[in-house]
Amino acid sequence: MRLAFTATILCLAVLYTYWAFADLSFLSSAGRLGPGFFPRFVGLLLIAACVLTLAGDLKERRADAGLSSFWRITVVVAALSGAFVLLLEILGGPLAMVVYMLATLVVLNPGRSVQNVAISIGFPLALFLLFDRWLNASIPPDALGLPW
Amino acid sequence: MDLFADLGLGMSVALTPANLGFLMIGAVVGMVVGIIPGFGPSAGIAILMPLTFGMDPIGAVVMLAAIYYAAMYGGTITSILLNTPGESATVASTFDGYPLAQQGRAGPALVMQAVASFVGGTVGVILITLLAPLFSQLARGFGPPEYFLLAMMGMLCLVVMVGSDWRYGVISGLIGFALGTVGIDLETGQQRFTFGSPHLIGGIDFIPVAIGLFGLGELFYAFYQGRHASGSGGIVQYQRERRFWPEARDWVETRVTLVRASLLGFAVGVIPGAGATIASLMAYSVEKSASKEPERFGKGAMAGLVGPETANNAASAGAMVPLLTLGIPGSASTAVLLAAFLLWGLRPGPLLMSQNPEFAWGLIASMYLGNMALLLLNIFAIPLFVLMLRVPYRILAPAVIVLCTIGTYSVHGSIVETWLMLIAGVVGFFMKLFGFSPAAVVLALVLGPLAEEALRQTLTISRGSFAIFIERPLSIWIVAITLAVIAAAPLMRRFQPRAA
Repeated sequence: MRLAFTATILCLAVLYTYWAFADLSFLSSAGRLGPGFFPRFVGLLLIAACVLTLAGDLKERRADAGLSSFWRITVVVAALSGAFVLLLEILGGPLAMVVYMLATLVVLNPGRSVQNVAISIGFPLALFLLFDRWLNASIPPDALGLPW
Repeated sequence: MDLFADLGLGMSVALTPANLGFLMIGAVVGMVVGIIPGFGPSAGIAILMPLTFGMDPIGAVVMLAAIYYAAMYGGTITSILLNTPGESATVASTFDGYPLAQQGRAGPALVMQAVASFVGGTVGVILITLLAPLFSQLARGFGPPEYFLLAMMGMLCLVVMVGSDWRYGVISGLIGFALGTVGIDLETGQQRFTFGSPHLIGGIDFIPVAIGLFGLGELFYAFYQGRHASGSGGIVQYQRERRFWPEARDWVETRVTLVRASLLGFAVGVIPGAGATIASLMAYSVEKSASKEPERFGKGAMAGLVGPETANNAASAGAMVPLLTLGIPGSASTAVLLAAFLLWGLRPGPLLMSQNPEFAWGLIASMYLGNMALLLLNIFAIPLFVLMLRVPYRILAPAVIVLCTIGTYSVHGSIVETWLMLIAGVVGFFMKLFGFSPAAVVLALVLGPLAEEALRQTLTISRGSFAIFIERPLSIWIVAITLAVIAAAPLMRRFQPRAA
């Protein structure tokens, strides 16, 4: 998996460098270093670094540590976090926070319904008061026209 | 003396009720951040930065800086009571701190660590007071070539010294540089890598990336390691012990340690990339070598706790010197602080102390006050923080994820940045898993645009010749220091904690 990750970075580095060469000029119209100078430099170095690292890892046959037994819960938490961001635009900040907290605590803290409900309502409420009322910072509005 | 006048100005700024309030908030939050294992000051500063946008810049920076050095105090509490370092710089505190607690000496250990942190932090701030004006004076002769070399020195030192393999650090740094090129080229006004998207015209914002890499990435990694499953069991029973206070022999044993570790920690902290972690482990090694009873180390030697604790706080103060006087952060935490300064239109560097003396000296003065406040907080509010340790990680983590997400959104009201934070979180997880360096990404994202601007100015001045870097005496010095630090890196990496 480490090799795949490094290879992915290499592919992105190649694309980055291609765009740096194709879209951005090395010199500006005034003859000074242009917008493409630094990106080309960085891109080529990144490609070289990735290639050398991949070659080194393949040569050493550097094996990945086995998958942790907690990989599933990690994926679930990440997926729930993604769903939370999605819900922010649909339900708005306050409701999305409550739904997310409840869903996540049901998974992580099963069997403690009262505690989970109390935290799922209490913490988002405190955060809403902190951001929206005290700091006057923006909380995502909802698309459903809910009262807050 | 001008020094006392400057410090007086700083105290007059720091001693306002508002700034004292922000200082206390930062100190408490920093302690809490330090207590949460895996959550470092860089995450705490990045996550709380959005909350400070409505504040006065001086108050905001005082608060964020307090989080930075207070985390060193808080991280030791879990080291002593749980044998789990709350912060990487407090790993060495577990070696003798936990055995002390097992021997029923948790109280004296916690008091001594508070005193050690206070001494280290205060000596560090005194040295900042003395050295910062000198560094600033020296840096007045710096031009674009020197600033480019300083940025490269900061990056190279961090890359070589941090992380499991320097090759992954180089890749991480270059990724950060690449991300920093997205947006509008300031010299020509041309868009770079925006693909016509209005969301990318302003570039990739630092805050969602930092919160994602340091906040979400760390949390996902903690779940992967099963931290949520361990609960809060295993805590050493902490009670209001009759022997809460240290004994006379504890003070006698550590009187030289306090001075020696302060100076060592500060010197190491000034070096970009070295940081508090290396400082604390070096100090442990030095104390063990210097002790008449080295066999006691690892079994509850008070000097084995006091040495690293003093050093890590002195190092965190030392890291502020290059940040304030040269504008070069040497670690992820100071990179986040630099980003905060830039967001408020403050440019750390040699002119900061002359153009914004109330800011620079206000910050330095607040560090004196902050260390005093943290000493009292650590000694008298320990039971409250111990209570915090009983909150299970499986409840804490979702709350922190919500805070990260809402905090990111609140900066610009942008859902795109919130998605960017999430993507950075996933990438940060894989980076941690495979030994890459999120710290290098963040540092490069902050330094990259500055380095590019300096390099282009340099090559314009020299009409394209790179020889300018070896024609200027200051540049030669910077190159020499960088090479010396890189040459010493293998020795310093021996003091890094081994990955689990």
